Amino acid sequence: MKLSHSSTVSAPAERVWSVVMNVPTAARCVPGVAAVDPFGPDKYKGSLLVQIGPVRLVLDGEIVIVSRDDGTHKAAFRADAKDTRLGGTVRATIDVALKDVASGCEMRIDGDVQIAGRIGEFGQPVIQRKSDQLLAQFAQCLGRTATG
Amino acid sequence: MNGFTYHEPTTWPAAQDLIAREPDATMLAGGTAFTLLLRQGLIRPTTVVSLRRISGANRILADSHGGLWIGAMATHSTVVRSPEVRRNWPEFADAAATVATLRIRNQATIGGSVAHADPASDVPVMLAALDAQVIVRKPNAAPRVPIDQLFIDTFTTSLAPGEFIESIQIAGRGPNTRAVYLKYTPRSVDDYATVSVAARAEVEEGRLRAPRIFLGAVGGRPMRAMSVEAALGDGTEARAFADAAALVRSDIDPIDDVRGSAEYKREMARVFVERALRTLVA
Repeated sequence: MKLSHSSTVSAPAERVWSVVMNVPTAARCVPGVAAVDPFGPDKYKGSLLVQIGPVRLVLDGEIVIVSRDDGTHKAAFRADAKDTRLGGTVRATIDVALKDVASGCEMRIDGDVQIAGRIGEFGQPVIQRKSDQLLAQFAQCLGRTATG
Repeated sequence: MNGFTYHEPTTWPAAQDLIAREPDATMLAGGTAFTLLLRQGLIRPTTVVSLRRISGANRILADSHGGLWIGAMATHSTVVRSPEVRRNWPEFADAAATVATLRIRNQATIGGSVAHADPASDVPVMLAALDAQVIVRKPNAAPRVPIDQLFIDTFTTSLAPGEFIESIQIAGRGPNTRAVYLKYTPRSVDDYATVSVAARAEVEEGRLRAPRIFLGAVGGRPMRAMSVEAALGDGTEARAFADAAALVRSDIDPIDDVRGSAEYKREMARVFVERALRTLVA
């Protein structure tokens, strides 16, 4: 499942970049994320609670920074998580790119999410809509954090 | 499947006491959605409170102004057959009759359909067009919530834990009130809608006033066709319907799925809104 989101943040790319690459800080911008802690170079552990009506997913997993280019403000992340209670896994690759524009910086997030197990039964349209919402809220919060 | 504690209170206060003690309990109405989610392993309730034995919870009453009071546990089939509904709001009975199959309609309840908040369900869309009020039970209060404020997003309502639906009220109609529900199911008649349209308005001499139009299956909740309503204004004649209906494209937020692409659904929304308007004045 492909996701993409782009938005303009009213802060220079350099400033937004420092927030995005501080994974525990950036993760606080994802609604439902519990504490994210480092457990190795460029590796973090954390959990995400997603509630869609009566269905409650608790995704425990890790995020790895696969690549980063501080000069061009581009980075790639990989996330692996599972819900042991319901049974299911989520694997995602996420590319983030920032570009300075007149009013601040343009942030582009492209994701490719694979869902296996029972979580997948919920239906891609519902998951897609929820993921789009989470991405939009994440981008808004990043903007507030970078300008605040 | 996992085990859970199962309660069948016989009065509303008893149900309320149970929920107050166990705010994480899952409420069970007709159980059609619950059973699917349970079988798929997507929910693992520890406590279930069924409303099926609550006395009078499935009753349908009409008041002297032609308004309806529909108990949350009334099934779709009860609505379809109800003399009170047929007499006062036959269009609502017609909408309930489009739901899935007879077996589902015999089991699924009106309150359950509203609480489940599936944006592709039929009854919530029609109730939104009819400006229904939801009577909510919560500790020390029984607020009336306009139904379109209840729906937040896919499977999500504004009901807090410990709150549940007791009944749904539809006010009586005026002498010139018309309503219609159109459901487009190109795959099979018992499918969820690809697009559905519910509309009501006052109609005099072929002119339409105070339109209220909602669409199903094209967003996270019943989507109000605000631009269409605004363009129609008061006293619109049928020749303006096509232009007004075209504005629905910006009022909805469909997604690609097995029932069609987002673009296809936008186009079908336009077609069915225009048909609904023409049906109102026919």
